[in-house]
Amino acid sequence: MTIIFIILSITALTGAISAIFLKNLIYAVYSLLLLFVAIAGIFLMLMAEFLAVVQILVYLGAIGILVLFGVMMTRNISGASSERILSRGWFFGLVISVLMLFGVLIPGLAFSELSSSPAVETITPSVKEIGIQLMHLNTPALWLTAVLLTAALIGAVVVAVPRNYSSKLFLTYKLENKNKSSK
Amino acid sequence: MIPLEYILLLSAMLFTVGLVGVLTRKHAIIVLISVEIMLNAANLNFIAFWRYNPSPDLHMGTMFSLFAIAVAGAEVTVGLALVIAIYRHYQTLDTEALNRLKE
Amino acid sequence: MAAVSQSEILWIALIPLLPLVASLVIALINPKSKGLGVSIAMIAMLGSLVLSFKAFYMTWHLDGALFFNFEWLRAGSQSVELGVLLNSLTGSMLAMVTFVGLLIFIFAGSYMDHDERKTRFFCYLCLFASGMLGLLIANSILLLFMCWEIVGLASYLLIGFWFHKPEAAKAAQKAFIATRVGDIGFLIGILLVFKYTGTFVFYSSNGLGILQDIGLTMLTSHTNVILGLNAAGLVALLFFVGAIGKSGQLPLHIWLPDAMEGPTPVSALIHAATMVAAGVFLVARTYPLFAADPITLSVVAWFGAATALFAAIIALAQYDIKRILAFSTVSQLGLMMVGLGTGGVATGMFHLLTHAFFKALLFLGAGSIIHGCHDEQDIRKMGGLLKYMPTSSVCYLFGTLALCAFPFTAGFFSKDAILLTAWSKSQPIFWISASASFLTAVYMTRQCVYVFLGKYRGRKSPHESSLQMTVPLMILAVISLVGGYVATSFHVNHYLDGSDHAEHLQIVVIISYCISLGGIFLGYVFYKRGKLGEGLPDPLELLIGPIYRVMENRFYVDEVYNGTIYKVWDGLGCFAQLIDEILNLKKLITVGIVRFFAKFFAETTDEKFINGLAFDGVCHVVQESAPIATRMQNGFFSGYLRTVSIGVLLLGIIMWVSFGS
Repeated sequence: MTIIFIILSITALTGAISAIFLKNLIYAVYSLLLLFVAIAGIFLMLMAEFLAVVQILVYLGAIGILVLFGVMMTRNISGASSERILSRGWFFGLVISVLMLFGVLIPGLAFSELSSSPAVETITPSVKEIGIQLMHLNTPALWLTAVLLTAALIGAVVVAVPRNYSSKLFLTYKLENKNKSSK
Repeated sequence: MIPLEYILLLSAMLFTVGLVGVLTRKHAIIVLISVEIMLNAANLNFIAFWRYNPSPDLHMGTMFSLFAIAVAGAEVTVGLALVIAIYRHYQTLDTEALNRLKE
Repeated sequence: MAAVSQSEILWIALIPLLPLVASLVIALINPKSKGLGVSIAMIAMLGSLVLSFKAFYMTWHLDGALFFNFEWLRAGSQSVELGVLLNSLTGSMLAMVTFVGLLIFIFAGSYMDHDERKTRFFCYLCLFASGMLGLLIANSILLLFMCWEIVGLASYLLIGFWFHKPEAAKAAQKAFIATRVGDIGFLIGILLVFKYTGTFVFYSSNGLGILQDIGLTMLTSHTNVILGLNAAGLVALLFFVGAIGKSGQLPLHIWLPDAMEGPTPVSALIHAATMVAAGVFLVARTYPLFAADPITLSVVAWFGAATALFAAIIALAQYDIKRILAFSTVSQLGLMMVGLGTGGVATGMFHLLTHAFFKALLFLGAGSIIHGCHDEQDIRKMGGLLKYMPTSSVCYLFGTLALCAFPFTAGFFSKDAILLTAWSKSQPIFWISASASFLTAVYMTRQCVYVFLGKYRGRKSPHESSLQMTVPLMILAVISLVGGYVATSFHVNHYLDGSDHAEHLQIVVIISYCISLGGIFLGYVFYKRGKLGEGLPDPLELLIGPIYRVMENRFYVDEVYNGTIYKVWDGLGCFAQLIDEILNLKKLITVGIVRFFAKFFAETTDEKFINGLAFDGVCHVVQESAPIATRMQNGFFSGYLRTVSIGVLLLGIIMWVSFGS
């Protein structure tokens, strides 16, 4: 069990680190996908099968591909080889991150009393239970999520459609309306 | 079984890697990717705590993660739309070149 | 108090919800369909009005309070409850706010006719109304605070509605910031209440609410918390700080006159009926807290009296018709505070209610006049309007009479009650309030002489306003004339706080007659004789010379603030600049590590070390001390992110330190 976990962790960390530091964006996205898969594996180990499936579907299937398209639609795929990939004063950022790890996160772990093994040995397959929970206790949140996703969808279209194009769209719509009303 | 610390440690490290990406890289898409890594680390925490708490049958951790994933989806959608809009406007995704916030 | 929890009164939550829904709907409809937006707003307001009158009717036969609480959120063992409350205070205010509000809506429907963004305007108005009504029915100091902030936000949007005028945009910011100063005190008070009692609700079915006996005992048992005050007194004073900000008392009155840059219906809504009344209402609502410590009530009374006189003096030397009314509002709010501080809930609230009607009338009348005179606000360029716009003028004069406390108008009864209680509590406060009332009569007469008598001094000839604007004026005028008498004969004191009407003292009655009649007479004689007009000095200026100039410039309070507070602000700027430069130490570290990571640092070191840290940087600190913000704001995206994460980092560390792991 532990060995599988360690392998998955190393995969996840490798994926994450290479996603951050690879110069070629396409490769970076691929290693991000590797991270997603590893996380899904850990979810499976923790008996959250449903979430593992969701992770694969949403992160790999949707978000990963979306980012990939995003990369392809913006030209600078590999980046000029001479260009630096780190921003100005990156060292400062690195220091902050390391401080965050060793100053906040790890002490938080070290000083807490954590159980070494799960309280419940096995969890029965849970999709039905999750569905019930979703429709009972969490219905308002579900609605809000639906609204949020719709808003995000519309917002993304509005933002991403070129301005002249959208105004053209709007104009034709207006013209059509005018023609209709004149008839 | 694996002790809870291990999972939390992994999640902390993933979070830090994500933070490093956000704070040091200058390509906008990479920054977006790093935020995704951080979100994944947070989800991992939710699931770990859920698995190790006395009553996992309530599925609270799962619920949290599900909604977090939904929000992450929305975030990436809008983020990429912005990236594309910015790229179209400035022909670059270098966050150093995008300094209009100054004005 | 026979107070039992009753869920039947949950329907009063609809009163604020209707305008809220209306504002959301109006926000979503096509901004071009003005008629639709206005009618949605009117219907919502009408619904609230009907419900409010039902609530008002219920409170007539009600002894004590009806309330309904529900749990809003729970964190550990602490639960936060919100709720609605209905008692006589709520009932009367609801009726007043919805009624005056509806009239203002009707007026605004015509007044804003040629504004492009009329629909938006009504959206804000509805938001404002819902915040105000929510504030009235809140049974929890937390809910009250939320609505309080909604009101603040809506007033910001409304005052700055014509944001293309720089003055309006500035005035909106000023209003927002000045009230924010008060709100900080209010917020601290709320937190303290929670600390001492563990609850936010006013009345609770288990008797632990902060206005009930047990809750009050919990507060008063903490004696000598600070400066000899007990906890209740401290909390009450902090609430009063919030009320000072909202109700424009000294020294935070500065935003109120500037807020006149907004459209006139807004001025009426904000300055007459609602927003400024919120502060007074807050004091009245939490009156048991104030009463629990004797010092606080006298603080309230003294602040009120000082404000009343101060604002009245300033109003004597203003030329902008709305500005005079604004200072008059400040002055009247001071009187209400005097009423609360010396007499109790009934005295202050009675004046608040009558004042709301006649001040709304005056503001709407002023709006009508401004509209008729082609957006002219300077009273020197008006004159003789009695001939040109008779309806508006007569209504305005009735409002003036009520404000001057002319015998048997609405203002007379309420102001009389305040003077009466002030007389019995403290002579100095009485004389200050009395002189403020006297000045009120004088400056209102001055204004009327300027505006209505003599010859018209403007260019384009004025015209009477449309019926949609004058009908609300007439309704309000009738109430201003007879409202006080009706209310007194229905035993308003007993209704508001269960007390009986105080005995009339001959001497006080005589003094208040003298004040109003004498003030009006003096003002009339004095200003009728003098020559009025643009470019001509005011008759008073001839009399007192340079003092008049000081009054006209509002005792230079704004300038003093510019000179002091902004200086402190600049000083803080220097400090922040210093911190910024300390942050630059990261460049030192860069230099230390450069040998090991020469490859990465070759390009940055030169620029940062030589330019940033050495000579230039030091000179920079010395030379430029003020504009730190521009330095931090360098448009460098990652820099912002790093600053944010430093904050998160510090928060995390503080958490570890403070919780001691």
